[in-house]
Formats: sequence, structure tokens, C-alpha cells
Amino acid sequence: MKTRRDFIRSVVLGASATWTLPGFIDRTFAELGDETRDRSTQFTTGKDGTILVVLQLAGGNDGLNTLVPFGNDEYYKARPKLAKKEKDLIRLGDGIGLNNSMPFLGSLFKEGRLGVVQGVGYPNPNRSHFVSTSIWETADTTNRVNTGWLGRYFDNACEGVDPTVGMSFNKSTPESFGAMRNPGVSLSSPELYRWIHSGGNQAQAEEFFSELNQPKNDVEDGPTDGGSIDMPAGGKVGSLAGESNLDFLERVALDAQVSSKKILEVAAKHKTNVQYDGTSVARNLNLVSRMIAGGMPTRVYYVSHGGFDTHNGQVNSHDRLLGQLDSALKSFFADLKQQGNDKRVTLMTFSEFGRRVSENASAGTDHGKASCMFVAGGGVKGGLYGKYPSLTDLSQGDLNHTVDFRSVYADLLGGWLKAPNIGKILGGEYKGIGMT
Amino acid sequence: MSRAGFGGSPDDIGLLHAMGREKAVDFLLNPEEPIKAYPKPEWADLKTAMADMAEMTMERREMMAETRGLSAEEAEKKRREMQKDVQQELRRQGLEAQHWWFNRMLKTKAPLREKMTLFWHDHFATSIQKVKQPVLLMKQNELFREHAFGNFRDLTQKIVRDPAMMLYLDTQRSSKSMPNENFAREVMELFTLGEGNYTEEDVKQAARAFTGYQLNRINGEVVQSARAWDDGEKTIFGNTGPYNGKDVVNLIFKKDACAKFMMTKLWEFFAYEKPVDSAMEDLAATFRKNEYGMKPVLREIFLSREFYGEKAMATQIKCPVQYLVQLLKELEMESAPLGFPIMGQTQLGQVLFMPPNVAGWDWGKAWINTNTLLTRYNLAGSLTKGTVSEMMGRAKKFAERRGMRKGANGPDLSGLAAESERNETEKLVDGLIARFFSVPVPAKARESFITYADSKKGVSFTDKELGELCHLMLSTPHYQLC
Repeated sequence: MKTRRDFIRSVVLGASATWTLPGFIDRTFAELGDETRDRSTQFTTGKDGTILVVLQLAGGNDGLNTLVPFGNDEYYKARPKLAKKEKDLIRLGDGIGLNNSMPFLGSLFKEGRLGVVQGVGYPNPNRSHFVSTSIWETADTTNRVNTGWLGRYFDNACEGVDPTVGMSFNKSTPESFGAMRNPGVSLSSPELYRWIHSGGNQAQAEEFFSELNQPKNDVEDGPTDGGSIDMPAGGKVGSLAGESNLDFLERVALDAQVSSKKILEVAAKHKTNVQYDGTSVARNLNLVSRMIAGGMPTRVYYVSHGGFDTHNGQVNSHDRLLGQLDSALKSFFADLKQQGNDKRVTLMTFSEFGRRVSENASAGTDHGKASCMFVAGGGVKGGLYGKYPSLTDLSQGDLNHTVDFRSVYADLLGGWLKAPNIGKILGGEYKGIGMT
Repeated sequence: MSRAGFGGSPDDIGLLHAMGREKAVDFLLNPEEPIKAYPKPEWADLKTAMADMAEMTMERREMMAETRGLSAEEAEKKRREMQKDVQQELRRQGLEAQHWWFNRMLKTKAPLREKMTLFWHDHFATSIQKVKQPVLLMKQNELFREHAFGNFRDLTQKIVRDPAMMLYLDTQRSSKSMPNENFAREVMELFTLGEGNYTEEDVKQAARAFTGYQLNRINGEVVQSARAWDDGEKTIFGNTGPYNGKDVVNLIFKKDACAKFMMTKLWEFFAYEKPVDSAMEDLAATFRKNEYGMKPVLREIFLSREFYGEKAMATQIKCPVQYLVQLLKELEMESAPLGFPIMGQTQLGQVLFMPPNVAGWDWGKAWINTNTLLTRYNLAGSLTKGTVSEMMGRAKKFAERRGMRKGANGPDLSGLAAESERNETEKLVDGLIARFFSVPVPAKARESFITYADSKKGVSFTDKELGELCHLMLSTPHYQLC
């Protein structure tokens, strides 16, 4: 695997021998002195580094029908229509069973490669999709910061400014990628993450585009230089020290070009013979596996699976969604195994909240509080974590959390991604729960 | 013009230029265009909205009566159906509100007033995603517009009793027994003083003063109910009295920190980040002298030498809304293609009426990353080549279903450069540079544009090639600045 520097030289700069390495890139790499080189595993991972895949279950996944407390009568009392019977479950522990729409996760659990966290939530939970999603993504329960927990990981633990350190296959950038310096890359499909000319003479136009989006590399440029000398050190966000807005824009423009070329190249090259479903979660996990196979230096991938806001007629829809998830994960892990990358990848699911304990009159469930999380793959010590929340000691009809989601994040950041400064990333010291 | 408004066509800019600096600033600060120049959608009238709400309550009651004989399940189903209709209608209204304001920015003859309305919207950030009542957001928007050049203290007094803000920050739940400290803290930290200029105890005490606010569901007004309000003595900033919310705001505005906090924010919005401290002190003095009136300080900013200095000129990264409005203006498009404004705002990370949280948007470099930069380039391409409707897909269908008016797909390119003018490529390129760039374009980039244009000239120079040239020019880091 080439380093980013090699890549820039060969792909972008290689196109024209007259271009010199732009000053700011030299500066960036000069910063990678002896001290930082030790930590440079966080920078370019190539074929070795650990990878985290974050999978959002959007809409509020019903934890009680995902991880079912079949040993508890209260469950059956609260859900006369929706409750799952013991015989319809995959037994994971005493009185606890997994929804049997997820046979693959069941088998992962038996192999000791699936951690299931019970009763995850946070203090003073919020029942709005918008607010609670934001809280999970920013890891800030006051819902005030504009950076995300993954973005802060990129900023604080990952050297360099390679935008492909994080990749999201979503329509919009997830809040968790929000960063001061490096918010990763978000794309709905690799084909759209590029400069789209769609006119005559594509190659020629792209050459011009490429040239115009190079940082200026000499003083002949004239008027702009006068303006950018002695600029203040930029604002609160994003910039390297001493970088003007124009310098910053030019750097991002080059980053965009480099990463776009690389992603397109990787996406086109790596195909798999593992079958994936046509669901969007399966398609996106397939893209993730192609990126991993292609040796992207990406540390974190983000995909989303929606539809969990099951207010009515929940039985079929919820089971179907879980089944789609299970099937997509089955293909994904089989694919990774074939590539020999299965040990490098850990996947975590999350959802903004769980559902009410009692079902509603439309055979559905309304917004609730604590729910469960799955952590699967290479880095996990399998098993049940946390404590199943009480079904009698409720807060306004909702489960109280027994595990703070930030301690799960702490495990993944520290134990799996080996990030320094976890306290800084999570905005406080959280003890992990020992899954990694 | 791009700072005090949203840019314009070469003609617009020329007109303002001809006035001279002083006259131009007066013109911007005293617009002739009436505030009510753009009729609001019908639902946005508060009286209509209140009547609608009353009608809905009636309907709900009727439905309850009808469903009395039904099973719980069927009744619930009916209730949900009704709720779904209501939500759909509210979503439609929200979308209409967003289009309404965007189009107003595009068409207005009072650009600075709209820019200040945007400034207040960011400063007193409130999101429709939580408030869920577009009519209240529109009402708040009107309040901002009325106070665009008004008085900061008066506006703050109105905002602490603004229904949308109240719903957004859950003030109505703040009671004597459980005062909501959050609201008091936001008022001091984000709205008026800034961190470090108050103590935790001030927040606690002020929270007691802000208790008892209630929304009157009939007329949409917020009142401080005497019964739910904590009428005890409070000590805030060393003053003691049985203060209410209004008193707290008055106490805040007696503090020196307030003027400087606001002036720094205003300067950063219009000029550049991290200004020199002493300059802000001077502005703050003007602000206090004028009892927090906005007009004198805006005038001072726009006439200051520093505003036209090296640090300020063409160094600001356009925010997404500015980027989109300005692009349409420079292309002389009188309306945006169907669904384009919302798609653009969503993809670029700034949707009107949807700031991310009460602290508002992060500005400056935060707007730009590899995704948003490529998206800017591609949005510009779809516009200059008239291919917006192809790339829209869902957003367009959404807008169509809701019966939104259809705009042109792309600009009238022959209006930008007549075919007869296109063969003198240097002149053509220089004309386009003057149209698009506030930043001096590097000589090398200019050469690139000319070479590209020359290579097109040989074959033909139809609108298609001109569109491609424009796209290339807009796909540059320099174009992101104003």
C-alpha cells in the first residue's frame, strides 16, 4: 500500500513533472517527526490497522423485541400482541433470547464473536429522534457541541489530513463525523464523489479542473499572494496553523481530488463473489468491504439502516428489518473472511433510543429510552454485557439504562482503535465495559 | 455587496458602486422595500393558524366521538391517520417556509435587511425540527426582519417570550419547583454575554426569574403567568430583587460585556474572524452609546477603513445559503430551479430554519470539507449546464408533488455573453471573472480559463460550451470566497 504522500506524487503530481510538492504538504509531513512516527499507525493503516464499522439503526430500534427478556412475565403482560415466545427465540442466556430473524448473529454469538450490550442509554434521555440521534452522534448529552465523537477521533487521534480516514455511505454527512479538522468523506456512491463534467471532451476538461485545483506553488501568481501573507491563524475550525482561508480551500480542493481518484479506483477494482441482498444496508456494506479490500487507509466506516420507527403493526416490519440487517451482516463478514480481513474489522450498531415497554393500541411501540447494542467481529470478546434493565422499575413507562453508551464508545476507541486521548474525544472519562 | 447582501449581477454591483461608499451604506441601511413586500403563505398568518388549530381540535373531538363505538385498535388507527395528515401538512408548510425565505433573499431589494435576518436566525437559533410549527418560525422570522436594524435589547426581550424559542428550549416547562437552568444559561452564554461573564449562581437565580412562561394557544402569545412564576427575591450580578424575565434581560444589558460580545460576533459575521480587541471595544462603545441600536454600529462597520483592508477583502468563505443565492444572482436567474434551494442547502450543510442546535451554525472553514467542496462544484455544474432536474431525483419529485412552482433549469447564457462576443476569448473570460469573482484571480488561473475557451472556440461556442466554461470557473477554490 502506498502512503498518501506516494499517492499524491504518483497520481496527482505525476501528471505533470513541472509541479513541485506544495509547501503545505511538506509542512504536514514534516510534522510527522520522530515522536509522531511512533503513533503513525493511526495515520496510514494499509493492510494492518484495525477498522471500526458503525451501523446506525435509524428510527429507534425496539430493544425489547430484539433482545427479548423471555424469562420475565412483565414482558408478556406489557405486550400481549407483540411479545415473542421462548420457542421463537435464539437463547443467549438466562431468560434472554435473540429475535430469531437474526440467525447469523445467533451463530456469531455462539462462536464468541458477538458482544451484546443490554440496557444502553444515557442520563435524562430525550425522546425526540432529532435530539437523541444528535446526542448519540456527538456523545454530548447536553446536545451543544457541533463535532461528533468520530470526528473528534479523527481530529485527536489520527495524524495527517487524509480525508479518507473516515468514510460514510450516507446521503448526508453523519453528525458523528463532524470535526474541527477532518470530517472524513461522505458519499452516497463513489460515482458521485468526484467532479462531474458531463459535457464534451471529458479528459480535457478534467485536466483543466485538476490544474485549477492545485495549490498555487510559486510566487508568480500575483495578486492573491499579497492578500494571504500575514493572515491571522484562521478561525476556530479546520485549519492548520497559519493557514488562510484561501490556503485552506486549496488544500481541501487537492484532498478532494486525491481521495476521489483513489475511491473511484478502489471501487472499480475490487469485486467479490459473495452474494449481497439488494437492500441498501447490504449494498453499502458491500461498498465498505470493497474499500477495505482495496487497502483504503480508512479507520471508520459509517452505514445506516432505516425504518425502525415502528409505531404501528410492528411485528412484521420489525422482524423484517432485523432480518435484512442479519442477512447483510452475514454477507459482509463472509466477504471479509474471504479477503482475509475479518480479524481487522469490528462492527457496532446503535439506535437513538429504544421503545416503550408497553405496546400501543396499534400493535406498535412508541419512543422509549434504553435499548441494546451489538458489537461484532474481530476485536470483540463475545457475550452479554451490562445488565438487562428492570421491567418494573421504569421511568415514565420506559426502561432505565444500565450502561452509558459512552463507555461502549470508550471500549471501541481505546481497546480497538487504540486511540490516545479518549477523555478528550468523549468529553469526559468513561470506563470501558471490557468488550475489546 | 456580497458581505452586506448576497452579491448581484454586474449591473446591480455597478449601480451601488456609482453611489459612492457613504451613499451606498445609507441605501443598504434604509431600504425602500417594505417589510411586507412579499406576501406570506396563507397558513403563516397567525390568526389563520390559530383558527386552523381550533378547527383541528374540533375535528379531533368529533373523531373521538365517532370512534367511541370502535375497538381500541381501530380508534388508535383513526387517531394515527389523522396525526399523519397533520404531520404531512406541517412538513409541507415547513418546506414552503424555507422556499419563501430563500426566494426573498434572491429577489429582495433590501439585501442587508435579509442578511441581518439571517444573522439573527443564527444568533437566536431555533429549529423547525423540534418546534414543528412552521407558523411560529415564520412569526419569529418576521420578528428578526423587523429588528434587522432595530434594537438588540428590544429583540432579546421579545425573543425570551417568543413562542418558537420557548418550544425549542422547553421554557414552558420551567416551573417554580423545577426551574429550567438551561434556558437562563443559553440567554447569558449564547445570546448576550458570552462565557465567563456570569457565574453559575447568576444562572440559577435567573432561571427562577424565567419561570412561569406559558403559551396562549388561542392568540399565540407568550405570557409570564403570575402563579407559576417564582416571585421570590433573586440576586443576579450582585443586584437583589423579585425579578421577572424582563428584569433579568435589563440587568444583563447593564453589563459592559454584552456590547462587546455582540460586536465581536457581528464583526466576525461581516468582516473576519478574531478581530483585534481594541477595535471591538470601540465598536462596543458606539453600541452602548446608542442604547443597543443596530444601525449606528452597522454603519460604523461598513464605513470603517478596516472593513476594506487586506484582512477583510475577499477572505470570507461563503456560507451555503450565500453561495446558492449569490450563484443564482450572478447567473441572473430570477428563480431557482424546482427543489434546488433545499437540495443545495441540505447537501452543503445549512438549511434555513434548521440550525443544528441552539448555538447556531459553525461558520467559516467549517462549511468546507472534501464532500461539500465537490458538491459545490457539482451544483454549480448542474446549474450552468441546465441539468439540475436530472440530478435532483427525489427532491424534485417531492417538490412537484407539493405543487411548487417550476423555475428555469439553467441560466440564459446568451444574456451573460452574446454569441457575437464569445470569439474574443480574453474579453469573454475577463467579463466572466468580473461577474463571478470577488477575489483577484491568479494570473495562471486566468490563463487556464482563456486556454480552455480558445480550445472551444475552434469548433463552436454555443451555450453548451459557454456553460462548460462557466462551470470550470466556478469549480475553483477562489470562487468559494467573497
